[in-house]
Amino acid sequence: MGIDGLIVLDKTGRPIIQSGFRSASTAYPLLHVDAFNHALDNARRPADVDPVLYIPSYNTIQSPSACCHIPCADMRFLCPISGNIDPLFAFAFLQTFTDILHEYFGTLSAATLKENFDVVYQLLEETLDSGGHPLTTSPNALRDIVLPPSLLTKLLSVAGANINTTINSGSGLGSAGGPFSSSIPWRKAGLKYSSNEIYFDMVEKLEAIVNKHGVTLSSSVWGKIQTNTRLTGTPDCLLTFTNPHVLADCAFHPCVRLQRWTRDKCLSFIPPDGQFILADYRFAPNTSTTLNPRFVPPTSSTSSPSAAISNLAKDNIAIPLSIKSIFDLEDLSASFEIILTSRTTRPIENLNIEMDLGQGAGGIKCIASRGSGGLTRGGIGGMDVGISGTSGASWSFDTKKKVLRWGIPNLPPSSSWSLQGSFSTSTSTPRPSHALQVRFEIQSHTYSALKVEQLKISGEQYKPYKGVRGRSVGNIEWRW
Amino acid sequence: MSGQYLNTLTENASRLGMRIQESFSEHTRDLTVGRGSVAYLDADDKSKLLNIRKQLDSNSDREKLDAMKRLVALISKGRNVSEYFAQVVKNVASQNLEIRKLVYIYLLRYAEQEPDLALLSINTFQKDLADSNPLIRAMALRVLSGIRVPMIGSIVVLAIKKCAADPSPYVRKAAALAIPKCYELDSSHLPALIQIITTLLRDRSPPSLGGVALAFAAVCPTRFDLLHLQYRRLCKILPDVDEWGQVELMNLLLRYARVMLPRRDEEELDKDLQLLLTSTESVCYSRNPAVVLAATRVFYYGAPTSQLPKIVHPLLRLLNTSPEVERVVVVYLLVITKSAPGLFAPFYSRFLVRSDDFPQLKKDKIKLLLNVLSVDNYQTVLREFIDYADDTNDEVVAEAIRALGRCARQVPDSVQHCLTALISMIKSPHDVVVSNAVLVLKYLVQTQLDVGSSSVARTSQSPLSIISHLARRIDDIKHAQARACILWLVGQYGSSNSRDGVAEWAPDVLRKTAKTFGDEAPLVKLQIVTLAAKLFIVSPTDRTLGLLSRYVFSLARYDMNYDVRDRARMVTSLLVGVAPNSLVNGDEQPEERSGVVLRREQIRLVLFEGKSGVVNDEPSHLDGTDDENVMIGTVSVITDKPMRMDDVLPDWLERGVESSLRDSEDDAPPLDVPMALSSGGKHVMKGVLTPPVVLTPSGGSSPRTGGAWRDLDSFYADAEEESEDEEEEDGDDEEDDEEEEEEEEEEESEAEEEESQSEGERNS
Repeated sequence: MGIDGLIVLDKTGRPIIQSGFRSASTAYPLLHVDAFNHALDNARRPADVDPVLYIPSYNTIQSPSACCHIPCADMRFLCPISGNIDPLFAFAFLQTFTDILHEYFGTLSAATLKENFDVVYQLLEETLDSGGHPLTTSPNALRDIVLPPSLLTKLLSVAGANINTTINSGSGLGSAGGPFSSSIPWRKAGLKYSSNEIYFDMVEKLEAIVNKHGVTLSSSVWGKIQTNTRLTGTPDCLLTFTNPHVLADCAFHPCVRLQRWTRDKCLSFIPPDGQFILADYRFAPNTSTTLNPRFVPPTSSTSSPSAAISNLAKDNIAIPLSIKSIFDLEDLSASFEIILTSRTTRPIENLNIEMDLGQGAGGIKCIASRGSGGLTRGGIGGMDVGISGTSGASWSFDTKKKVLRWGIPNLPPSSSWSLQGSFSTSTSTPRPSHALQVRFEIQSHTYSALKVEQLKISGEQYKPYKGVRGRSVGNIEWRW
Repeated sequence: MSGQYLNTLTENASRLGMRIQESFSEHTRDLTVGRGSVAYLDADDKSKLLNIRKQLDSNSDREKLDAMKRLVALISKGRNVSEYFAQVVKNVASQNLEIRKLVYIYLLRYAEQEPDLALLSINTFQKDLADSNPLIRAMALRVLSGIRVPMIGSIVVLAIKKCAADPSPYVRKAAALAIPKCYELDSSHLPALIQIITTLLRDRSPPSLGGVALAFAAVCPTRFDLLHLQYRRLCKILPDVDEWGQVELMNLLLRYARVMLPRRDEEELDKDLQLLLTSTESVCYSRNPAVVLAATRVFYYGAPTSQLPKIVHPLLRLLNTSPEVERVVVVYLLVITKSAPGLFAPFYSRFLVRSDDFPQLKKDKIKLLLNVLSVDNYQTVLREFIDYADDTNDEVVAEAIRALGRCARQVPDSVQHCLTALISMIKSPHDVVVSNAVLVLKYLVQTQLDVGSSSVARTSQSPLSIISHLARRIDDIKHAQARACILWLVGQYGSSNSRDGVAEWAPDVLRKTAKTFGDEAPLVKLQIVTLAAKLFIVSPTDRTLGLLSRYVFSLARYDMNYDVRDRARMVTSLLVGVAPNSLVNGDEQPEERSGVVLRREQIRLVLFEGKSGVVNDEPSHLDGTDDENVMIGTVSVITDKPMRMDDVLPDWLERGVESSLRDSEDDAPPLDVPMALSSGGKHVMKGVLTPPVVLTPSGGSSPRTGGAWRDLDSFYADAEEESEDEEEEDGDDEEDDEEEEEEEEEEESEAEEEESQSEGERNS
């Protein structure tokens, strides 16, 4: 019942880390690993594997179970669950656990986990009770129990374990510094910094779908306020915005006082130490719905279609680029031309366009260039990778996943780029996915133009250094 | 002399040098080990393994730690290392916390296999339970309860009891979480465990409450009587509980509400239910998807429909959390939109399929779009379905095209649009698109013809013209099932509207297919035979048709497939009354038939009638009417397979129990408002004191979970106890808010009495 445990697989499908399972049978974790690997083998693309796999029981005593899994760097995290619990419980735990690992090791990879496997096991022991219930998941509290690997701890472990003991057991430090001494569950007690700093990073993500006529079907902007604090003592922060009405569908870190938010639309909180996400929000350009976003009654089905359409249009957010594409599908081959134009006044960075060319695609030839085409085809041979010299644009083709990637590291405002190419299929008519996945970043820009008015800190004497920064990313599906 | 000195000097020097080098190399070895534990995972040589035993027995903590890391690395690789158990157990009392943690990890895995040796460690754990460090106390309890050795059951119960009264909430949480494990190990400890749960339920600090809710659900899921006094406080404290605890607590409170509170009512909402809903609403702000979903469950299964809009935005927000979460939430939305489609209809644009979604998610999103389909949005949604037919996944394509058919049925205005789209799909080079389009077209045409001319007239493209269109394209359609389908349509409707002849395009279809008969799939051959029979019976005088049919029948008669031969034999003998000679080859003169020879009208009846019944597309598990088995927040609705321990929500009671049962001193004006750090709770003090004057407690109004009384004596005993209870509650309220401590004591005694009462019930 509940979360049975956690298995980390490397990219060959072999377990690296395996938590203890309370199941009667030792085959239980193996069953899940096998089921997952089997599903992975059968899927056309690795991303096609259903994230919740049903695992039938292999005998009458055992009850059937399910395997929830997420990809993470070059690994897979499997979370077997039994009983009729909510898979979201497992996914929420997986997310929390990978966040914790991220916090501990910085970058996540199979190599780092192998290198620090003892720490990972200790973390598992502390975060997941063997009965299937998450225990301590607040990074601040965890750091007291399981020491993060650092040069210091490594030196200490070499120098001798005695020092280690005194630091670890906490009894030597008295009640002030030991684990669980803090009265605030998410904040460490007795923090001291010589320079006090607090940074807010507002990261907004545009998710949109554009149809083949260039009409935006749906678009929404999701924002996160990532916060990094290095503050002494227990500061009480009050963050106010000049335009809080653009925020809708908010979700907050447990430290935020909800009453203040519903009353004054400002964030009042005692922050945890270190990195955390203070709030998630959706950008609501349409102010009429944002005044009281939580109590929008469902519009009745009698409203006129024109109202619905205009409503849709009003909610749309301008997409900072436009794409024109021509595809010509023939019997055993296809040719295409994609023209992309930037439509913002800011440079777009790390633009990446992916296209699934479908089963059996191969023999791809492309020319990536700046400007609206004009180059003749035939310069580049049947290679799977190409970089055109001056523009920096490049393309590559993943022969295993059948995905064509077109990357442009930097697009100046209102520049225009093109990709021309052709490919052939071995067996039948080409069947590419009729959509381009466009991903990009825009630095120091937010779609919502959310502005911090003021950050007040009470309860402590010092004046911290404050910083606010914005960043935008986009993930657009452009159909053709 | 000097040479001798020199000798010893050099000897000493070299010895010193060696010593230094030795110690140096030793340290550097440690340094390389310290650089990364990856060495443990990759090391596999036998000598090191043999060394583990010696290392564990050594005096140096460093050696022990090294050995333990090696063992854990071996566990990680899936090796069975239970042979080292004896050596490992000795280190359980190590002063080094890191060694101890690794020993714990080892113990939890292998204690079951070595129960006798595991008993050696029990003493240490018992000692640890009195340690000054809460971390060590909690860890000791966790391991103690995790070792699955039934012998120590009573020791574990004692340990849990001790920890349940611990000053640290972290340890109390560990105690709560240990309860289900202890119960699983030995269910005979139930009474003691229930008593501990009762104590823990009174806990005033939030961290442990989630664990208690979990223990309650695992150990005594129906003892809601224990919750009466705590219900309101638990509701208010909900926002301050940690996220995982919130999930368990909300599930518990929801079940309590369904059993003990009056049924949800639109006009007059019970104030205790409202209290739960208000608290739950503030929890919806959580970033944790599991918490938001648990809150959704409370609203969906607990709130009157007028309050359901409150869950719309939190649920929509979840769609954007991660692809995996989206996959799960969309299925829940399917369930919700089934009963309340209007709720999500304005937000249909959030459900549009992206080409990089999981295939299963795409299919579910298509179903979801169908559920929220309305007159307002059908045009956009329809265009979406047409786009999805280009997907690279065959199942998604099939689902999208089927959705077009469903769309035409749900919104009559869209029929024309759907038909045009489907007909254009027939030209697609992809098999799967064509076959699905034909199947859906067949279905649409049939329903159209069934409805009658009224709706046919409205669409410019009449069903017959669609059939004729299909008939003309028979050569382009390769898919066997689609071909068979068209042939059937041609046969069935190729004659219906013309008086006596057949439609002009029908015989040509027969001609074309007769030519390719040999290459067709059996499925298609069957339909060719049927088509021939139908056309022949409609105009038996037509010579060309007669010859064609005869040709087809004789081909079918000698086919490899016995189904086809069977069909041919059946059809020819059926038609014998109309054309005894023309259908059968000359050399095979029919022997005298013993059966009945049918007249033309009768044959017509046999061939044509009773075929117009529209076959619905396959029902999905979410289409079923038995919504009771389909619950949001369960695995079984995601995998569409039954899971064990199906968590069935109790049904509402008609009236609920007396609300006065829930009155406790907490309802008095707040004196001890806990320092609300997140202050998520709106701390609604709506639960004003209702005069709990129930002088004659009626047994009927408070349903007992313990079952019926067996004899009169226990009935009276029980009634007496209950009246005592009530009196005490009266007293409580008179005293009101003075002297909290006293009250607390009183509450305790009261609760104890309730316990003894309930225990008595079970014993009887």
